[in-house]
Amino acid sequence: MTTDALALPRRARRASSASGWLKGFDLAGGHVVMALLSLFCLFPVYWMIVTSLRPANKVFERSLWPTAASLDNYTYALNAIPIGQMLVNTLIVAAIVTVVQLITGLLAAYAFARWRFPFDKLVHVLIALTWLVPLQVVMIPNYLLIANAGLLDSLTALILPHFASALAVLMLLQAMRSFPNEVLEAARMDGAGSWRVLWEVVTPNLRGTIASLAILIFISTWNEYFWPLLLTRTPEHSVIQIGIQMFMTSEGTQWGPLMAASTLASLPIFILYIVLQQQVVSSFMKSGIR
Amino acid sequence: MTHLTLNSLRKAYDGKEVLHGIDAEIENGQFVVIVGPSGCGKSTLLRMIAGLEDITSGMFMIDGELMNDVEPADRGCAMVFQNYALYPHMTVRRNMDYPLKIAGLSKEERRRRVDEAAAILGLEPYLDRRPAHLSGGQRQRVAMGRAIVREPSVFLFDEPLSNLDAKLRVQMRIEIKKLHRRLKATSIFVTHDQVEAMTLADLLIVMNGGRIEQIGTPSVVYHEPASMFVAGFLGSPAMNLLPAEIRDGQLRLTGMPASPLAEVAAGIAEGPVTVGIRPEAILLSGNQSEGLPVTIDLVEELGGSRIAYCALADTALAVVLPTDGRGQEGREVRLLLPAEALHIFETASGVRRDYTLAPVSPATEVRNAAGLRDMVIPV
Repeated sequence: MTTDALALPRRARRASSASGWLKGFDLAGGHVVMALLSLFCLFPVYWMIVTSLRPANKVFERSLWPTAASLDNYTYALNAIPIGQMLVNTLIVAAIVTVVQLITGLLAAYAFARWRFPFDKLVHVLIALTWLVPLQVVMIPNYLLIANAGLLDSLTALILPHFASALAVLMLLQAMRSFPNEVLEAARMDGAGSWRVLWEVVTPNLRGTIASLAILIFISTWNEYFWPLLLTRTPEHSVIQIGIQMFMTSEGTQWGPLMAASTLASLPIFILYIVLQQQVVSSFMKSGIR
Repeated sequence: MTHLTLNSLRKAYDGKEVLHGIDAEIENGQFVVIVGPSGCGKSTLLRMIAGLEDITSGMFMIDGELMNDVEPADRGCAMVFQNYALYPHMTVRRNMDYPLKIAGLSKEERRRRVDEAAAILGLEPYLDRRPAHLSGGQRQRVAMGRAIVREPSVFLFDEPLSNLDAKLRVQMRIEIKKLHRRLKATSIFVTHDQVEAMTLADLLIVMNGGRIEQIGTPSVVYHEPASMFVAGFLGSPAMNLLPAEIRDGQLRLTGMPASPLAEVAAGIAEGPVTVGIRPEAILLSGNQSEGLPVTIDLVEELGGSRIAYCALADTALAVVLPTDGRGQEGREVRLLLPAEALHIFETASGVRRDYTLAPVSPATEVRNAAGLRDMVIPV
């Protein structure tokens, strides 16, 4: 009896230590996998920076560290194209698109969340469907509209078609639907009109979602390539992604300056990531995009 | 003066009526409690008064002025919600200040009112905190503060205590009552808790299935319930409702040995009825030969009182036992149901019938067969 009573906990202890060891192994294994994946993702970025530092004759060198590091590629890239102007253009386009998409998203989501109106569900479905329409489908009509409006080769042309997005409407609608109805009713009892409720009650409480969404819109607009490629004609009215492409010519690709320009183009996004690390991660989690 | 008139108020959702014509008059300064089970329409009625729900038909008037289409903020009502409904991003001060800011009051006046309300509710130390950093009771106080600062003519409370723990609920209940005494504003309080209803109300409105079952003071509603529903809803334990019949001028329990509970006045229609009696009105017979013989199934010890549940035919009979220790589980006892404590209801409609009842006369005893003596209520 006594032996049994003693044996049982010992067995249990052994089992628990075994399961603890397994758990530890699992954890360590998980970390190893994550570290490998991180390396896999980070390596191209590292290679971009390293290549940008190699002299022209050693661009295809395979060493992990540049044998003769120089900033020549940066000097060349800065002189070859107006990178500063392009970065400012990209910043203007990304910032305006972000702000406008947030405003239109907030207004549309508020309307869907707050009121029932004829065909509201149909309109909601149509907005959701626009998310599924690829850029290539609307490219030609949008191009013609912009061309007819005489807006080719202008920043306005890059901003205008992005004034509203289904992602913004749907994400904000989801957040608004989970906002407590009683708070809205309390505001109504307090005498707040719909406009005031939106800006003074609802919006301040959606800061998390709005911040996440802002980051997503900003990054995707910053990385936009195809639409600016169609519309811009001169480097002065172009964005940085087009500037990078200018180093790929029919005579061959200038890899060193291209990598230098790419590094410069990535800098603002790097800074955004570093400053708003938490928000960036949560925004990707919220949108379900990896 | 704030006088509320509810005239045939009806509410329908998609053609389905949920409130079937509510009529009530609420006098100035009254504390009215609307009580009823979940889904009876009490919160809907309150929201119609607040203006948060449209009135399908009927009239709602404040001081004779039709309010049906008046915006909630313009009705002079302030509401305290079940989930507090505080603005999460604002401090306590800003929460209380917000309606005043919207109303366009001067900064000094706003500050004065908020400080005054905070002093009344003991919220001064928390004015710079956000709702997330407050306890449930403190949040509820802020919600009340937000209502008070507006100096409304009518306070509306939508089950404001149901999210609080039992102890805090009692404390807040007392505070609300004190606040009402101090402010003397007309208040309408919705709850499903009968203790809250009984303790707070000047006037009680009992609702069931979208209809008003009874309006009256707590005492009247408790002692003279207008229907079987009210009798069964108010009181803990609820009133015992037993099937009975009126025959040969006597009231007898159905299925029991011929046992007249009382004599009824001549001319009353004979037939089945339901007899109600409060658990505390039932007496334990000291005499083993008189009273209704029952066996005690279970005794609940509540400290200050003891409640016994006795098996009686198909029903359970709740009895408040004396604290002297008489009446133990498993024991057979004899119960006396005094005629003056009996309530008679029509079995089919549940409506109360105020029949005059008299204790069974000794002559009845003689008239009855041998052995019935035990069942006779002593004069």
